[in-house]
Amino acid sequence: MERKDNQTPQGEIARILVEFLEVAITSVVSLKGIYPPGAFERRKYMNVVVQRARHPQLREYIHSAVSGLLPFVQKGLVERVAVIFYNTDDIPIERFIFKLTVNQSFGSNVEESDLEFSLRSFLIKLSVSQTLTTVLPRDCRWEITAYFRRLPEVSASKDAEMWIPTDTKQWQQPPLITPIKSMNSEPLGLQLYLEHPSPSELLSG
Amino acid sequence: MSLDSSNSKQRSFNSTSSNNQSNTSNSKKRKSNQKTLGMAWGANSLSGSRSSFRSSPFSDFGSYMAVKNRKLQNQFDAEASNSSRSDSSAKPVFDGVSIFVDGFTIPSSQELRQYMLNYGGRFENYFSRHRVTHIICSNLPDSKIKNLRSFSSGLPVVKPMWILDSVAANKLLSWVPYQLDQLANNQPTLSAFFTPKTKPADEGTFTNAICEVKHENELLCLKDASKDASFSEAGNSFEWRKQATEEHDKLMCENSNRTAIDGPSNGYSEEPKEVEVVEPSNLQEDDESLANNRLQSCPEQSSASVSSHCFDNRGIRGSPRSSFIGPSKQRHSTLGDPNFVENYFKNSRLHFIGTWRNRYRNRFPSLSNGLTKSSHSDVSAGSQKTPIIHIDMDCFFVSVVIRSHPELNDKPVAVCHSDNPKGTAEISSANYPARNYGIKAGMFVRDAKGLCPQLAILPYNFEAYEEVADQFYNILHKHCNRVQAVSCDEAFLDVTDLEGKDPQLLASAIRKEIYEATGCSASAGIAKNMLMARLATSTAKPNGQCYIHPERVDEYLDPLPIKALPGIGHVLAEKLKNKNVQTCGQLRLISKDSLQKDFGIKTGEMLWNYSRGVDNRLVGMIQESKSVGAEVNWGVRFRDFQHAQNFLLDLCKEVSLRLQGCGVQGRTFTLKIKKRRKDAGEPAKFMGCGECENLSHSTTVPLATDDVEVLQRITKQLFGSFHIDVKDIRGVGLQVSRLESADISRQAPERNSLKSWLMSASASSKEQFDIKSRGKECIDSEGRSMDVNSSMLHNVSVAVHGTNNASNGEGCSNQNSSVPPLGHLDMGVVESLPSELLSELNEIYGGKLVEMITKRKLQDDSSTRSLCFTPSPPEPAKVVEAERSRNSDTVSLSRSAVEMKDKQPILEELRTVPDSGARPNSVAISTAGLENNDLVPASLSQVDTSVLQQLPEELRADIFEALPAHRIQEISALGLKTDNIHHPMGIKSAADNQPGSASSGLSNNLWIGNPPLWVEKFNVSNLTTLKFVADMYYKANSPESLSSILQCTLAESLHPLDATCDAWNEAVHSFSELLMNYIKLKIGVDIEEIYVCFRLLRRLSTKSEFFLEVYNLVFPHLQASIDENYGGTLNIPPHS
Repeated sequence: MERKDNQTPQGEIARILVEFLEVAITSVVSLKGIYPPGAFERRKYMNVVVQRARHPQLREYIHSAVSGLLPFVQKGLVERVAVIFYNTDDIPIERFIFKLTVNQSFGSNVEESDLEFSLRSFLIKLSVSQTLTTVLPRDCRWEITAYFRRLPEVSASKDAEMWIPTDTKQWQQPPLITPIKSMNSEPLGLQLYLEHPSPSELLSG
Repeated sequence: MSLDSSNSKQRSFNSTSSNNQSNTSNSKKRKSNQKTLGMAWGANSLSGSRSSFRSSPFSDFGSYMAVKNRKLQNQFDAEASNSSRSDSSAKPVFDGVSIFVDGFTIPSSQELRQYMLNYGGRFENYFSRHRVTHIICSNLPDSKIKNLRSFSSGLPVVKPMWILDSVAANKLLSWVPYQLDQLANNQPTLSAFFTPKTKPADEGTFTNAICEVKHENELLCLKDASKDASFSEAGNSFEWRKQATEEHDKLMCENSNRTAIDGPSNGYSEEPKEVEVVEPSNLQEDDESLANNRLQSCPEQSSASVSSHCFDNRGIRGSPRSSFIGPSKQRHSTLGDPNFVENYFKNSRLHFIGTWRNRYRNRFPSLSNGLTKSSHSDVSAGSQKTPIIHIDMDCFFVSVVIRSHPELNDKPVAVCHSDNPKGTAEISSANYPARNYGIKAGMFVRDAKGLCPQLAILPYNFEAYEEVADQFYNILHKHCNRVQAVSCDEAFLDVTDLEGKDPQLLASAIRKEIYEATGCSASAGIAKNMLMARLATSTAKPNGQCYIHPERVDEYLDPLPIKALPGIGHVLAEKLKNKNVQTCGQLRLISKDSLQKDFGIKTGEMLWNYSRGVDNRLVGMIQESKSVGAEVNWGVRFRDFQHAQNFLLDLCKEVSLRLQGCGVQGRTFTLKIKKRRKDAGEPAKFMGCGECENLSHSTTVPLATDDVEVLQRITKQLFGSFHIDVKDIRGVGLQVSRLESADISRQAPERNSLKSWLMSASASSKEQFDIKSRGKECIDSEGRSMDVNSSMLHNVSVAVHGTNNASNGEGCSNQNSSVPPLGHLDMGVVESLPSELLSELNEIYGGKLVEMITKRKLQDDSSTRSLCFTPSPPEPAKVVEAERSRNSDTVSLSRSAVEMKDKQPILEELRTVPDSGARPNSVAISTAGLENNDLVPASLSQVDTSVLQQLPEELRADIFEALPAHRIQEISALGLKTDNIHHPMGIKSAADNQPGSASSGLSNNLWIGNPPLWVEKFNVSNLTTLKFVADMYYKANSPESLSSILQCTLAESLHPLDATCDAWNEAVHSFSELLMNYIKLKIGVDIEEIYVCFRLLRRLSTKSEFFLEVYNLVFPHLQASIDENYGGTLNIPPHS
């Protein structure tokens, strides 16, 4: 892993966070069973067992998506990162939301081990959260969507070019929220929760 | 990518096997370690087990020691019964005293044991926290001193002389003066410093009290005092204190009376120099009249001093309660101590000096005010005389403390809050012997110790300072009615009026009297003006006086270095030095124009004047302070943002108290922050601020305030604008400027929330009952309109704040959170509200408001009054304007509904009162009293509890609210039910109607503190369910999270929770409030916790009606909050 951005605490946090997101998103995808079990292999990250995609394209998609977020996370522009599962009509069925809060004014250095302890609990909790999620229909699709606090200037970096405005269909009704895990340890706050369409949404849809 | 590729199975196997190994080796090690456990204090560690005792009849060392101790005790008892004195009628001297002798002592421990045998005490061979009351020793090794607390378990460590002297006096003396020297200096280390004042401190002040009155009647006082001492130990020390002060004042009074008669003769007999013949009759007459004056003013004064004690010296009032709390907390940074701000100022010398003026003014109100008015025309006429005396106590802070240590009289002594010889505490004052060693104020202790190893360092004694300062001013005011206080130990006297008296003689008489009364010396300078008098004092010091004859001013000034002049500091001196000006004589050679050109008009003129000894200031001109504030830059370390916020809230409380103390309100608020420099390491001074950047932000509000809530809101905003990492903050200060006298706005309601606005309006209508007690109250409709007018203004200002805050996300907290009962509303005011507000209120009251208004309207119609409830009332802003214009021009009553209420006769207003539930008159008076802050007792100790208990709950809550925030804890001490401190709230309606605003309206202060406030609140409530939950706080694994507490509640509550809840609604409200607080606290960062809580609640609600109701009440609020923050609803199926 390159460690060029760790001069500032924010850079360090962003680096840790992005790396974590890559693992966590892979775990989510693996958890949902959208690919056959053989698509993943067991690895150890932060001392817990996690899944890693074996298919280079899948791995590359997740990796490039989150590492493209790095400069924006560092600046505190990213509010949420969502892993969205769609049915064949491109209507979202389930959304895993990672809500980020990075204290921009945090001055002192960050110990990776401190954050690691908290972040690990996400991975553990995630691995036992299958019952909270819905069963996906066949032939569904998924994507990573990031919600920005404000739109970044164009061509802030070449990584950013891979991110395009989304045309994702939105739910008409406020969704049901099921929290999975929250942490709030200075300077990083992170919450993971599920969003499901509200019952009335399903009726109308 | 850091995914590890090693085989995890393999790894886990390895680790378990290695764990096993290490486990076994660990346990072996532990066994062998046990043998090395020391037995430093004999049987102190009873559980220690030694293999060598296995073979003995005792199962282990502990039981051996127990038997041995018992045997020793029996021996002792037997001997004691043989040797005890025959005078068994009196209580033995050492009754209840049990000593443990540590190390070598003179007399030996066996002799001491004999004394204990003979005089009814106990002697322990082995130390035990439970049996020993005093530790006797002559010397302690360093290690024990450093770790005093674990060594002595908090027991007094006393020199053997205590026992001998007690035997000699045939009564038990206070051990305080006999405290081990090493400790006596050491005692107020930081830890002791920040603990709530415990008994030793009380006894300390008490000895001071003795000192003061000693000259009156030593024996008598001692007796009295010892009586009092036992009284104070019973936990009423503040009451005792009050008594003592009163007593003391009385004594002073008698004393002054006596000295007035004795005075002259004394003066002649002992005054060594400068004594000239003055007509005795004249002097005596003078003094007698003065004494008479004093006598007359005495009752007033004593009461004033009592109340000012209560105001200023919060520490004392806090002490009796806190001393029972138990082991002291060793906390001296913001990190550990939730009451850091309070303690900080309690122990700050600068704070003492800073607030002293306020105290002085309370004590001598007429004097400090009246002076400015009196004409000084004769000053210029008498300028050839020498009318100004400047008196300054010699190293005040040291000499006051030194009085109780006569052995230190000629030794170098400094005052400092800590005497760790390597410490970085700063010396605040040093006596003259110490100054000879080059020790100065502001020096670190370690440097001072380097200069003078034998330097004795004593702690502050703020009570003694106060007492001495009071005595000092009592004496000054007795001699002269034109006194200008400069500081607690320094004052100017204008003696121009005292014709026929030689100022020099007067000065020496005053100095002598001061010495006799306080035991501290003072120096005096006498000259034609304040500048010269002050300079003369610096020449006179120490303990002397100096007279500068008007004709010899130049002579005096010529060689004087310019830095000696007041107003010339380092910078100015440096500039002048560059011009080759070092003495006043040289300065005088420079023309005024040239000075003004170089240094500015004002400074130039000052330099020109001062170098000529010209000073036109008049004695008695007290400069009004331009700003009031508080700053903390020691021990400031913040863990996180919330922590810093709590600190700010405390700081606001302090500042608000100071504003109220000075009777002013301010408009401009400046928040100063000391931010650690990026490259700065840990500062040299322990917990100091080190190298810092100073940042500040300020804001100005349209309406002056001293309200703590407003302060807190403004401060929060200001703090937010810094964008600073809280971990870098090393100091915080809040300053309030653009001060306005609070007197004008006092008549208007204090608080500017909608609630208080309505409340106070009705309260002021009740005031009509109370015409006698508050004669100049606004009785006529005009006065009322004034009242309402300003409250309107208040209200508008709230609106302005609100919009300011909206962007902040936090919203305006604490405001408008609750509504008064319907009966409390002043209908006149309600009717004149704009329709939007009225409908909003109406909703809150569930429609009853309109009903009431219509009823009233009918009434009014029948009495042929045309009360028009206008269909389109003016906008709020216009209302204010209308109010204003009408205020200036009372005749123009052409407006609509707004003015109508002014025309209503008072009778109308009175009629609403019986509606509200026929309160007894006394209640009305007490509410009226609340309006006027002066009448609010500063402490609950002055409140008649029985009256308080009979008050309606709302009023009681109001009274508690009006008390300073610190005081609320006392309520529980008074054994009052406090479940109603919060106002009755319309939670349900609030949650239904405007969930968003409800969330912002609620404060999250229930979760502040450790344990959080609600625990205490629930605990003292008489509601079983709440108590149960509060108990759970202590049982929960991680009590800071509500889910853990609820989990416990769920696990523990086997029986149905709501047995017979007499105050069902109260409990529901309290608990709902707690929940809403919690939601607000966690909504942004931890919905997981909220989610868990509410699922637990839901499970609880299947068991208990109580939780069901709470759940149903709060659930809509929860969902609204979630929606607001996350754009969705929490996935908990609502209850059917």
